[in-house]
Amino acid sequence: MTVKLTFVAHDGGEHEVSADVGQSVMEAALSNGVEGITAECNGSAACATCHAIFDEALLVHMPEITEHENDMLDFAATERVAGSRLSCQIPVTDAFNGARIMLPEEQ
Amino acid sequence: MHSLVPTMDDIGFEELMNDPYPSFDRIRKEASAVWVSSARINLVTRFDDIMHIERNHADFASTNPGSLMNKIMGHSLMRKDDEEHQVERKAVETAFRPGVVKQYWAPRLEAISDRLIAGFEKDGETDLFNAFAAPMAAYGLTELLGFKSDVAWQDMCDWSQSLMDAVGNYTADPAIEARGHAAAASIATEIDRAMPEHRATENPSVLSSMAHAESLHSIDQIRANVNVIVGGGLNEPRDSILTTVMALLSNPDQLAQVRENRKLFAKAFEEAVRWVAPIGMYPRRVTRDVVLGDTQLKEGDQIGLCVGAANRDPSRFENAHAFDINRPRQGHLGFGAGPHFCAGTWVARQMVGEIAVPMLFDRLKNLRLHDSKPVTERGWVFRGPTSLPVQWDV
Ligand code: HEM
Ligand code: FES
Repeated sequence: MTVKLTFVAHDGGEHEVSADVGQSVMEAALSNGVEGITAECNGSAACATCHAIFDEALLVHMPEITEHENDMLDFAATERVAGSRLSCQIPVTDAFNGARIMLPEEQ
Repeated sequence: MHSLVPTMDDIGFEELMNDPYPSFDRIRKEASAVWVSSARINLVTRFDDIMHIERNHADFASTNPGSLMNKIMGHSLMRKDDEEHQVERKAVETAFRPGVVKQYWAPRLEAISDRLIAGFEKDGETDLFNAFAAPMAAYGLTELLGFKSDVAWQDMCDWSQSLMDAVGNYTADPAIEARGHAAAASIATEIDRAMPEHRATENPSVLSSMAHAESLHSIDQIRANVNVIVGGGLNEPRDSILTTVMALLSNPDQLAQVRENRKLFAKAFEEAVRWVAPIGMYPRRVTRDVVLGDTQLKEGDQIGLCVGAANRDPSRFENAHAFDINRPRQGHLGFGAGPHFCAGTWVARQMVGEIAVPMLFDRLKNLRLHDSKPVTERGWVFRGPTSLPVQWDV
């Protein structure tokens, strides 16, 4: 099962990818060569360089934020906003089909 | 076609110890994995190959039942994978979260740095290795772990070195092994001395985090993981303090820039860890016959990931051998990658890039390399300055 995701870079450039349900949003970005996700720790929730901003309507389809992720986001290179998450902690589900995911200026 | 792992016999061990970078360049050109006889392991030196390995830990495991590390330190989180690794990592992580680092550890680390500098700032010259970097890293680690504050910094350094020597004791020298076991025994005593207090009151230290972890830790788990942190959490901050200072003192233009804009100290630290990775190599075990880049690896092969080499891979970094705080921000491998990505990253950044190095430059006026005593550097598995003589105006 795959869904379509669109990553929107800080400068407005768009990159549509197809993502497998079950992989993380970070993995979907990396495996499709999306620029703007660095993911230095490859998904260990330890580096805060996979910061992405999600539409608030999607938040209910995501695992609840842990204290650890929350703390990491406070130290992301670009200041967090409502909808900010570590994309390595977000599994792609059916509900993500057609989602637009914003990338911050810096990772 | 994927060829078998080639062998290189003509790289001397002393050559690696003195300056591994020319050898790293040769190995990187040769193949994805190269058996280097003097190192007695297959070395992987290309950035993309190491990234591939870190993203496929089912094929390249950290678990390594026969390893010397397990024999000396016990079976720590560093040599575990998947679920088993994650529960123990969680217990360490809480102590080193960036928020905890900023609010709780930063003032404590500042006090240590301040006290150490006050001890020699009137002298006009010193060797920063023993006067500052080693005690800074050791006292810092004592606090982070939650050991009693009367532990001597020299003991911490000694235990750390003895553990590292024993883990690298491939010739099975019994004296080195005995010192490793003695260090582990001393550390076990320190854990026993400090633990009652941490069990009684929760606090951000590593020992407290382990005592109150969601998944109950056995005493063996606690000992093994504390051993790993003593063995591996001391020399890296020490060496990265020295490398950052050395690099800035050798590049006056960049030092001027950093003095003008203090935010750049953090960048200087990050670039120092890329330029001379304090952990230059760490091992993995191949779990099945698998292709890596242009070479065919076999199940059971031991491979050494040379992040020190990958951090100077010209396909990733322009002018890779130069220290340059102005290079475009580009992820490096100095803290590893993947599930074992350094748990101490944020505390190291704070300790070195925000506290220790800026405070040295603030307090020691016109700090400069010594006019007659040379800087020495050594190592390839672990690398950093072994002496950094400096002078300043008093
Ligand atoms: C500049 C300083 C440092 C550098 C460059 C560094 C580098 C690394 C690297 C490369 C690894 C990965 C090893 C592997 O994958 O086998 C690692 C792991 C680790 N580091 Fe650091 N380190 C630094 C400071 C620290 C400090 C200060 C601490 C703790 C006080 C620490 C605690 C750890 C722990 C616990 C692990 C194991 C994580 C795991 O297995 O999940 N490090 N470090
Ligand atoms: S990839 Fe490092 S926090 Fe997500």
